Amino acid sequence: MERRTFVHLLAGLPFLRASGAQLAPALPKLRVVSAYAAAKVPGMPGPYPGTVISVGSDRAVDVQTNTANADVTREMMARGMCALTGASTPAEAWRRFFEPADVVGIKVNCGGFPHCISDYGIVAETIRQLMQVGIPASRIYVYERFQNQLTECDYGPKIPEGIQIVAAERANRFADNDGYDPATYLEADLFGEEDTRSNLMKLVSQRLTKIINIPNMKDHGAAGVTGCLKNIAYGSFSNVARTHQRGKSHTLSFVGTLASIEPLRSRTVLQIMDGLRAVWHGGPFARSTKYVFYPQRILFGTDPVAIDRLLLDIIDDKRKAEGAISVWDRNPASLQMDNSRARDADPNVNILIREPSHIEFASSLGLGVYDKARLRVQEIRV
Amino acid sequence: MTVRVAPAVLTVAAAAWLVAGAAGTGAQDACQPVGAVRASAEPLRAEQPARELLLVPGTVARPGVASPTRAPWLNTNGARFMRKPDAKYRYELPEGKGALGAAEAVAYGADAVLQVAPADLPPVCRVFAFTRDVPPLQLPPVADIGVVDDGSPVVAEVMNLLVRRNLLFQIVAAPQSTLPVNVKLGTPEYPVAEAADPSGFALKIRRQLTDDRRRLRLFGSEVVIARMTGDGSRVRIQLLNYGNRDIAGLRVRVRGTYRTGAAYVLDQERVALADYVAADGATEFSLPLLTTYAVVDLR
Repeated sequence: MERRTFVHLLAGLPFLRASGAQLAPALPKLRVVSAYAAAKVPGMPGPYPGTVISVGSDRAVDVQTNTANADVTREMMARGMCALTGASTPAEAWRRFFEPADVVGIKVNCGGFPHCISDYGIVAETIRQLMQVGIPASRIYVYERFQNQLTECDYGPKIPEGIQIVAAERANRFADNDGYDPATYLEADLFGEEDTRSNLMKLVSQRLTKIINIPNMKDHGAAGVTGCLKNIAYGSFSNVARTHQRGKSHTLSFVGTLASIEPLRSRTVLQIMDGLRAVWHGGPFARSTKYVFYPQRILFGTDPVAIDRLLLDIIDDKRKAEGAISVWDRNPASLQMDNSRARDADPNVNILIREPSHIEFASSLGLGVYDKARLRVQEIRV
Repeated sequence: MTVRVAPAVLTVAAAAWLVAGAAGTGAQDACQPVGAVRASAEPLRAEQPARELLLVPGTVARPGVASPTRAPWLNTNGARFMRKPDAKYRYELPEGKGALGAAEAVAYGADAVLQVAPADLPPVCRVFAFTRDVPPLQLPPVADIGVVDDGSPVVAEVMNLLVRRNLLFQIVAAPQSTLPVNVKLGTPEYPVAEAADPSGFALKIRRQLTDDRRRLRLFGSEVVIARMTGDGSRVRIQLLNYGNRDIAGLRVRVRGTYRTGAAYVLDQERVALADYVAADGATEFSLPLLTTYAVVDLR
């Protein structure tokens, strides 16, 4: 297959027209290099663009102990998958996406350890359903970028033996590149950094045939919120922390562009947003419970933009209820550049000008439906 | 730093030294020099302080100025070697820095003596042995940028930042038409005041040159400095790792198409270059592991 190069600068033009010309000068030139062709129906937005199934239960989490109820979670997942696909049984629903020959990656989120990570019960139930499809444990991968985060979260004892738990780097210290594909990357000079490439994990490009994305509902200091798009994009590519520094965030165009790169876009076929717990400020981290809250719901879909559009309101509504500035706040008076201590202490402090518009930008790249009026949201209570 | 012993890259003399040292059969305070680079665990002789004292190479914590992971502060001596290639230098290196100091001096062909901690003599000797075992290849330096050196400290710091950012330059008496970019401080294009921010100044030069025209790019680390020499058909790239850990999968891009390459990595066997691609007027490869020092030849 021939090496192909795309310049994504122009792809966001419709978005720019809609959002105002003042954004145009801030967009960096992004160059995508990938030899992979898109699937006939790319996983994102997949077969259900604009559709979100929201399954909630007051019994999902014991908020006193932060413990999820695995039985309730399993029921929520069964109802959600059936509603999404129209299947009559969970097994049939899962077979709409997966077949025994697949090699499946489960992109978890460990950044909110210890209080808000991809729930063990959701991950375990996902694996159980994949194995019922006929996929052996040895071809199911739970993955993150950093091994030290996976070690902290320690999914091993909570999931069946034989599941592969893998990371691309030992830790976030910019020394392990051999887990990344040197031929599949996004190139951009954002701040004059020397390394201008963000490479896709080899696991994604060379091993997996399908990916399930299990993000959390979290506030994010650079992107506004972190959900489906941010988790799959920044959790599958190297060298992404470079996109935000000194008050400026390039997440606006970077997140969606990464998510649109093949083969990541085509292979990410299912989004299960874990909203049992959530973080309304200080994200993506949750080292304390100070900003943790409990939406007690799980969102299902194939369209990451549609789910993240709902996430924006969930986080921002909570922030409003707590008297905090909006994730859309761009007031320089709220900005204390690089002062994460002040940010953690005060929900009215930003350390960067956030870019929640990254979700709308991703929509302009064809990754899903952003307009709330066009979303089909089905609420289910368990 | 991990200590490895790779007998395949040791000379007989160095191996004998290691055996003697390991067996405790005699105190060793020096190892066989390479060129004009010598090392000793003993205090420098009386005449040595007359040599110019170099920085201790490596990463330095600079809170608020540099980020340890993303934009680390590096102390390097490459620009000094380039500015005064005939000068005599000395290092006074704390434990753990001997090998990097030795590699840096060797890579730039400096006349330098290293005073190292006794525990560092074995790694320093391995650098020297490694250097002797790498096939000799004398080639002229490769440059994208000419710098007119007025001898000022400002230009010294500009050159230091060019080395730091792997922007290949040579010192010229006057702008050279063969070089894509020529920098002469005090001209309208390069006001002296602008150079007060050497990092920003280096970035300006990089953007004038453009990354596409750079002879050399490194991906996957912010702590590796390259020195490149070459002629029309061959290049040698010396890679110095100023960080505190080995780097896996460093990606190197060289402008020009080279059919084949060989890599020699300190404390490793000769290693094959990975994911080698020569196309579109450039050659790219990954180095499976970079310890403190590596030499890559392309032809």
